[in-house]
Amino acid sequence: MTTILKEVDAVVIGVGWTGSIMARELTKAGLNVVGLERGAKRMPAEDFTLPNVRDDLKYSSRQELFQDAQEETVTFRHSPSEAALPVRRLGSFLPGTGLGGAGAHWNGLTWRLLPSDHNLRTHLTQRYGKSAIPSEMTIEDFPVSYDELEPYYDHFEKICGVSGKAGNLRGQKIAGGNMFEGPRSNEYPNKPLPQTMAGSIMEAACKDLGYSTFSGPSANASEVYTNPEGLTLGACEFCGHCERFGCEANAKASPNVCILPNLLSDPRFELRNYAYVKELVYDRQAKKVKAVRYIDTRTGEEYEQPAGLVVLGAFVFNNNLLMMTAGIGEQYDPSTGKGALGRNYCYQLSGNTVTVFFEDKVINPFMASGAHTTNIDDFNGDNFDHSGLGFFGGAIIAAGTTNGRPIQTRPVPSGTPRWGREWKQATAKWYNHAFNIGASGCSYAHRENFLDLDPTYKDVLGRPLIRMSYNFRENDHKLVEYIGAAMERIGRAMNPTKISPASVRRGNYSVVPYQSTHNTGGTITGSDPKTSVVNRYLQAWNADNLFVLGASVFPQNASYNPTGLVGALAYWSAKAITERYIKNPGPLVPV
Amino acid sequence: MQRMSMILGAAVLAALVKPVIAADAEHGKALFVACAACHQERPDALGPNLKGVLGRKSAALDDFRYSNPMKRANLVWDEANLREYIADPQAKVKGNRMPYDGLHDPKDVDDIVEYIKTYK
Repeated sequence: MTTILKEVDAVVIGVGWTGSIMARELTKAGLNVVGLERGAKRMPAEDFTLPNVRDDLKYSSRQELFQDAQEETVTFRHSPSEAALPVRRLGSFLPGTGLGGAGAHWNGLTWRLLPSDHNLRTHLTQRYGKSAIPSEMTIEDFPVSYDELEPYYDHFEKICGVSGKAGNLRGQKIAGGNMFEGPRSNEYPNKPLPQTMAGSIMEAACKDLGYSTFSGPSANASEVYTNPEGLTLGACEFCGHCERFGCEANAKASPNVCILPNLLSDPRFELRNYAYVKELVYDRQAKKVKAVRYIDTRTGEEYEQPAGLVVLGAFVFNNNLLMMTAGIGEQYDPSTGKGALGRNYCYQLSGNTVTVFFEDKVINPFMASGAHTTNIDDFNGDNFDHSGLGFFGGAIIAAGTTNGRPIQTRPVPSGTPRWGREWKQATAKWYNHAFNIGASGCSYAHRENFLDLDPTYKDVLGRPLIRMSYNFRENDHKLVEYIGAAMERIGRAMNPTKISPASVRRGNYSVVPYQSTHNTGGTITGSDPKTSVVNRYLQAWNADNLFVLGASVFPQNASYNPTGLVGALAYWSAKAITERYIKNPGPLVPV
Repeated sequence: MQRMSMILGAAVLAALVKPVIAADAEHGKALFVACAACHQERPDALGPNLKGVLGRKSAALDDFRYSNPMKRANLVWDEANLREYIADPQAKVKGNRMPYDGLHDPKDVDDIVEYIKTYK
């Protein structure tokens, strides 16, 4: 039996970064908002303090804060010709659950995309010719330009108190910042974090090679900071427990610190924890989502929450799942190219490394914060000429130390045995004398990389699992080899005692080793309802009261960590709703 | 010339001595902003409210979940032990859960204690 609840102005599904941002903006505009969060309520004073942090085994190895694969997961296959099997232990990506979502346990890298990432298809066509983009590479333009989104990037950076240094302030290029970035209206809210030893070595080597380094934009505050919400971040203590942990020093931006204290004290907002959304109630005729059905996971009881406005702020897979099971839009079919739902699933080419070892240098890898990198963007996006290279896109290349946690930080030179006395001796010898140069590469859409509903496997609520069809393609293989060679050049320029050959993502994609939780696409934003699921304001083409937030709207993935763009787009969409949609509900872009 | 250097000498001496004899509460207040990122009056604050801490028993607030080491510390916060604690929290109360490694400049410690004396 389903209990029908009293209608509210808006319901937000998932209370992570996007759900918190949207709920905050809607309540400020006078709407009554219900936030449905399947996980626990997590607040820093209780949940991000000892003994609930700094336990490497519990939080990192045993994945305490992440989605439980026994309840929900995805199935995976490399190509549409294979049968997919469920991912029974999360590895490659680690979606969050609970209040704050992955925003509670991220590292804090907060990027803006390059202007040429925004209008990617147009840009590449203009620079390399009409036939340059292979037909199977189904990349698109973001329908929102860099210049349009700039004020929203700026605002999200202020909410997070991002530490960094501008490389392009209103068109003026500034050495020491990222000179490839688009023009910024303002300097970063906080000064850059102090450079790590690894970063200093990186900077010197890159200078010799003619590349310009800059400090990675970090939502780990370099100093005490009060954001536009009036909420305060402390200064980072460099404890090395960012990714996979809540922040005990109150220094890492998260919805829990930067927005939720205000939202939770607003009587127009009601948070319902353990409210696991099962399905959207879709009225095809009216093109509206009438209500949201959810299960209270403590009692097993089902509720139906009618709402005037529905905001989908779950992770990529659940955004797709809820739209697919409700039939909002046409499922993408790779054999015909028809349908938009599930199209352009992308990822990121992460975990490409060169490890350098220095007998005479002390690296102190444990004195670190999550986003504590010294970067170059010379080989990123279309910042270099791709003529004749046979691929598009590039990578951010960085050196830094985000943690030296003992279970996984065991750098040893290649050729070292994988276990036993020699391995132990080598890990002790090199622990404090090595670091990685790492690269994270663009992931460009491919016709056969997509999401749909699995015909066999079901989740704990009896719904089909999302089926991921994904593999690295020719563009990816060529890209990582090119970037691997660049990283080796940089590594050698550091004059290390030893250097490992580039370890890049070769062969088939594997769901086992962690790469990144930067899964994107499936409900992409675009200008054409035939090839996209939401319009430029992230409003569903097929349900005008449904707005879809998060990285599931990216038409392809740039090399940057996605949260900066996710946050900016949430504020962009919120403004369109509060200034236009509320006054005059209906499609914000004519269909 | 000798008189000149004597005046200079006195000025230098004054500059050296002055900070030692007069802790600067204003400077302490500026430094305290870093503490106040957690030590504030919000009910969901990460640290206990420090208003009126001087003269208070350690682990005395009912609405804050102190660590066991702090509960066992059995201190009455006075200028001397507050100074020691701020300079090196883990040395003073081993195992307490404040994620802060201490204020390393003794002058800063004096200034912040001077400010906390007025923070009621």
